[in-house]
Amino acid sequence: MATTKSKSLKEWNTLHKNGPFPLKTLYQTKLEGERLMPKKLDRYNDVALEIQRLIKETHQAGDGFRAYGSAWSMNNIASNKDRMHFNGAMNLSMPILDHNCHKDSNYDPSNLFLFQCGNTIKEISETLAENGKSLSTTGASNGQTIAGCISTGVHGSALDTGAVQDYVVGLNLIIGPNVGDIVYIEPASKPALSNDFVTTLNTRVIRDDDLFYAALVGLGGFGFIHGIVVEAEPIFLLKRYVKKISKSSAFELANTMDFKNSTFFIPEETDEQGNGKRPYHFKIFINQYSNDPNCVVELMYKKPYKEPYPDPFPVIKESLYKDLIFLFVKLAENFPKSIPWLVKRLRKTILPEVNEETTGMLKEIFWDAPYQGPAFACSFGIHHKHSEKAMNLLGDLTRNEGPIPGIFALRFVKQTKATLGFTKFPITTMIEIDGVLWKKTKKIMSLEEYSKRMVEVLKENNIPFTIHWGKNNAWDFPGLVNLMYANKAEDWKEQRKKLLSPEMQEMFSNKFLKTVGLA
Amino acid sequence: MKQIKFLLFTISFLILTSCYSVRLRNVNGAPQLDPFSERDDYYRGMAVIEIDTVINIKLTSKDFTYLIKENDVCESGKLNMIEYRNTLGSLFLSAITFGKKRKVKIKYVCEKPQN
Repeated sequence: MATTKSKSLKEWNTLHKNGPFPLKTLYQTKLEGERLMPKKLDRYNDVALEIQRLIKETHQAGDGFRAYGSAWSMNNIASNKDRMHFNGAMNLSMPILDHNCHKDSNYDPSNLFLFQCGNTIKEISETLAENGKSLSTTGASNGQTIAGCISTGVHGSALDTGAVQDYVVGLNLIIGPNVGDIVYIEPASKPALSNDFVTTLNTRVIRDDDLFYAALVGLGGFGFIHGIVVEAEPIFLLKRYVKKISKSSAFELANTMDFKNSTFFIPEETDEQGNGKRPYHFKIFINQYSNDPNCVVELMYKKPYKEPYPDPFPVIKESLYKDLIFLFVKLAENFPKSIPWLVKRLRKTILPEVNEETTGMLKEIFWDAPYQGPAFACSFGIHHKHSEKAMNLLGDLTRNEGPIPGIFALRFVKQTKATLGFTKFPITTMIEIDGVLWKKTKKIMSLEEYSKRMVEVLKENNIPFTIHWGKNNAWDFPGLVNLMYANKAEDWKEQRKKLLSPEMQEMFSNKFLKTVGLA
Repeated sequence: MKQIKFLLFTISFLILTSCYSVRLRNVNGAPQLDPFSERDDYYRGMAVIEIDTVINIKLTSKDFTYLIKENDVCESGKLNMIEYRNTLGSLFLSAITFGKKRKVKIKYVCEKPQN
């Protein structure tokens, strides 16, 4: 039998210390050992019963319940004041075989895998690599769990690929304590698994497009995500370049996404006519405090997998231009602790000149990002054609009403089908500021005030936007969710009501969902 | 006076330069996490085992092997990362005991078990 450890606590915090948030009980469930229960399927079904037991116990106590993975979200979306469940030890994985597929499935079965909720992106990438496969994209990092990624819409900067949830094929959810409360949901328009296989998971099948796309970025509100079926692809290499180019060229690319006719191109990455190729990944780093007319960009081009290739780790390990928090902390580490001093120095700091070239698998290029201390991150999704305008507005705000101890980056992501996916524009620019947490003073506004001003500035300038669900922001801004998603927010709530009983809706709600009006 | 200052400076310099840590980390595999941990350093959220002890080596022994065993904090019994610390004190201890006593100050995190 799977076993659960529990601990009474008063509070819980995220990895980057964005809390603390109140908590009464923290659970951690471990699967039965392989020696006692050799079949993976048996262990998977056994632990589902244990989770149902915890749900029952929580329901009887009249408490709320929320599962979390790596605690990488920077707000209270993963928190519940009553009971929380750490999923990290639930990391089974199973390939989907040919005969497990639905008769109308268009998927290549060799690309389908079932991962249990607590698998991190790193674990999944390694399992896939052992099978000659790769994820299509990640959150440009590897520590998040798969359930956490899709619940909050985690994205990289794969402009023609999408966010992590966009390669999810089906969801296995535990929505209550009773028999029949374990469901597998996939779109009716794109079935993947056969009923016979789903039955072996002690699960009932729901094929429903609207429900699937609502639950896909479910914000933890659609029950306990137990398993996720993902579509992988044959393993590939990425050729990564980090270059310093003029801001005007970078923003022309951001606004148009026209890499073919751009004045900037990488000579090795051109077509037969000498035009620039479209990259797999494009990212712009901006120090808004500096007058440097140039900025650093990161580009990656997809290549077929072939061995040998040069060891990417010497470059990846030392590169400044990885995670935005990492870059900021590295820029700031020799500066005084005082924020005004830090910002004063940042005004004189240009992003260091670079000319990096690396080749590696996705899992190598986006390798471990070590803990950098207390940090904040605010991230807005906008239509890519507004990239320059939005960057100028938010940069001005940060300089004129700040200072704020962070710097900006822009990433680009293909449109999602998820009802509340924040990558909702045809190509969404995710414009983000990351940095170190600070305390409000007479001269420096608080993070809450800064977030509110960013929302106000985008609204006043008629730039439609969304906000990354897992990051800091003015989540209590009046009418925020309707402003971002209009009637889609109501559709999401309707689908949630369709799936969960009123008691379970309450149990799987939390303060975050209540604040944004989605509970 | 000058000589005392020079001596103090040399000792401080030796102490500072002889204290260092080296961390080794697997490229593959994930560290075992501990949701109940309250650490606030590089190992935040990880299940860390710290050893700070002195081992006694028999005169007849050529070397010494410390065994990493399976337990609650190291479920896989496999290493994911290890950090060792060297100090001037540990060097002296080994020197004055002719290698019979060795200071061991390490932190390690095991691989997250694969299910």
